[in-house]
Amino acid sequence: MTELIRLSHIDKSYGKIQVLFDVNLTVHKGEVVCVIGPSGSGKSTMLRCINSLEEIDSGEILVDGELMGYSKQGNVYTRLPPKVLAAQRENMGMVFQRFNLFPNLVAAENIALGPVMVRRRLRKEVMEEVQTLLEDVGLGGFGDHYPAQLSGGQQQRVAIARCLAMHPAAMLFDEPTSALDPERVGEVLRVMKDLAREGMTMIVVTHEISFAREVADRVIFMDEGRIVESGSPEQIIDEPQQERTRSFLSKVL
Amino acid sequence: MTDIRKPYRPKTLIIGWVIAIPVTLALVAFMATNKRFHWDVVGQYITAPAILGGIWLTIWLTFVSMAIGIVLGVLLAVAVRSKSGLLSWLASAYIGFFRGSPLLVQLIFWYNLSALLPSLSIGGMQIDINAIITPMTAAILGLGLNEGAYMAEIVRAGLLSVDPGQTEAAEALGLRPAQILRKVVLPQAMRAIIPPTGNQLVGMLKNTSLVSVLGAADLLHSAQVIYSMNFQTIPLLIVATIWYLALTTVLTVAQHYVEKYFSRSLTNSNFNRKVVKPAVTDQVPTPSVQFAGETSKESAV
Repeated sequence: MTELIRLSHIDKSYGKIQVLFDVNLTVHKGEVVCVIGPSGSGKSTMLRCINSLEEIDSGEILVDGELMGYSKQGNVYTRLPPKVLAAQRENMGMVFQRFNLFPNLVAAENIALGPVMVRRRLRKEVMEEVQTLLEDVGLGGFGDHYPAQLSGGQQQRVAIARCLAMHPAAMLFDEPTSALDPERVGEVLRVMKDLAREGMTMIVVTHEISFAREVADRVIFMDEGRIVESGSPEQIIDEPQQERTRSFLSKVL
Repeated sequence: MTDIRKPYRPKTLIIGWVIAIPVTLALVAFMATNKRFHWDVVGQYITAPAILGGIWLTIWLTFVSMAIGIVLGVLLAVAVRSKSGLLSWLASAYIGFFRGSPLLVQLIFWYNLSALLPSLSIGGMQIDINAIITPMTAAILGLGLNEGAYMAEIVRAGLLSVDPGQTEAAEALGLRPAQILRKVVLPQAMRAIIPPTGNQLVGMLKNTSLVSVLGAADLLHSAQVIYSMNFQTIPLLIVATIWYLALTTVLTVAQHYVEKYFSRSLTNSNFNRKVVKPAVTDQVPTPSVQFAGETSKESAV
């Protein structure tokens, strides 16, 4: 398997509070990695570092061999200018807990924005693909709806389609079902399962342990800014080695 | 027999009416019977060519200065937020200077620019400042540059009102900074920017009267020229006031419609949109068949 994402020795602080401690993670092409752990354990921060939404204090993040967020000369790391950062992010989709659809645009325009503005593709051709993507996430007839007219689950599926329209090499999910009614969680997880089956590389921060068990190739348990344990879903969820993992799982399962 | 229900009406309201009605009547009587108002003169000059010309100039000056102010305001607001310390500082200094000094002083200053800078040479071309600074250019410079400082604060507040998650989502998609501003942040900021901008526009219309001191032939100046000859000061000021009120009323009505337009996507909730036609849900295709049933149910919410 080819290596796609590599985090080595990532430290990250917000002011005086350190939130990531020496995080190391390698994700291969087509792999689905689920990250679980209590709130404030640094799961989301780690995810946001991967596509450089957050700066890091030390360490390196490589995506497809390319150093993310910084240019490096010797041991000096200089933050890249916004345009270059944007170019790096094009190839990585990110799905947010609060969907973050653009409320001023209808669903179809939300999805078309990236391909038209960033990839400079022809609008007409993009709109055809948008229709297919909407159908893939089960929202064929909803292209002309504004986000405010959609349920949470529908909005999140549009958000996933919005990422897919950029044909990303990998997708990052930041607690994609945490803001949903329990009834709407299933429809989003189903779309994600389809994606995993089709071979999409995914890093999923989630509280859905059963989803992790079913879909993940690897599960990572994080606590207090550190990766505590990492392994197959069976190893981590069913036979955790660390006491901290056991106590967390006993509360959520 | 059905009940009769009455809204609560405080008894003290009657006192209000008791005062308001006679005061209004007295005011009307004063205006109608006081010969010194010279309503005949008002009627004579209300559509005089000089006054109509002044109105035209006032409108023109309002919109040109406002356009300059808005463009400048957006640029300044973006500059203030920029990561470059220098740019941010310069923009703040600009805003501080133009908000901190009186508009009338600024106008007179621009009009007398040639005293400070008699001529300017750009790329070998000699420009005579005295020839360029007419009452009109001084008026546009003064009003536009001053407005830019106020609009910058309004735009900045508008940009701040947009959820940071919107910028993040756009960044994650790979949109470039200028695209994020143009396509995502500004359109959403408009909702917060439009109402105070309407306010500024009404203010600008009235502030154009300050340019009369430079001798620009605006509405007030046109009225002044007439009353300096026939000494009918009050009637001509009434003529000007009637026109200013008419123009600000039109602007206020227009503002209402513009506000409605920019809040359309956010107010269209499931509640005020008609239930999606069944035909639409029929189109939900079968590949992801497990959703078809769900979507038709959801659309009826």
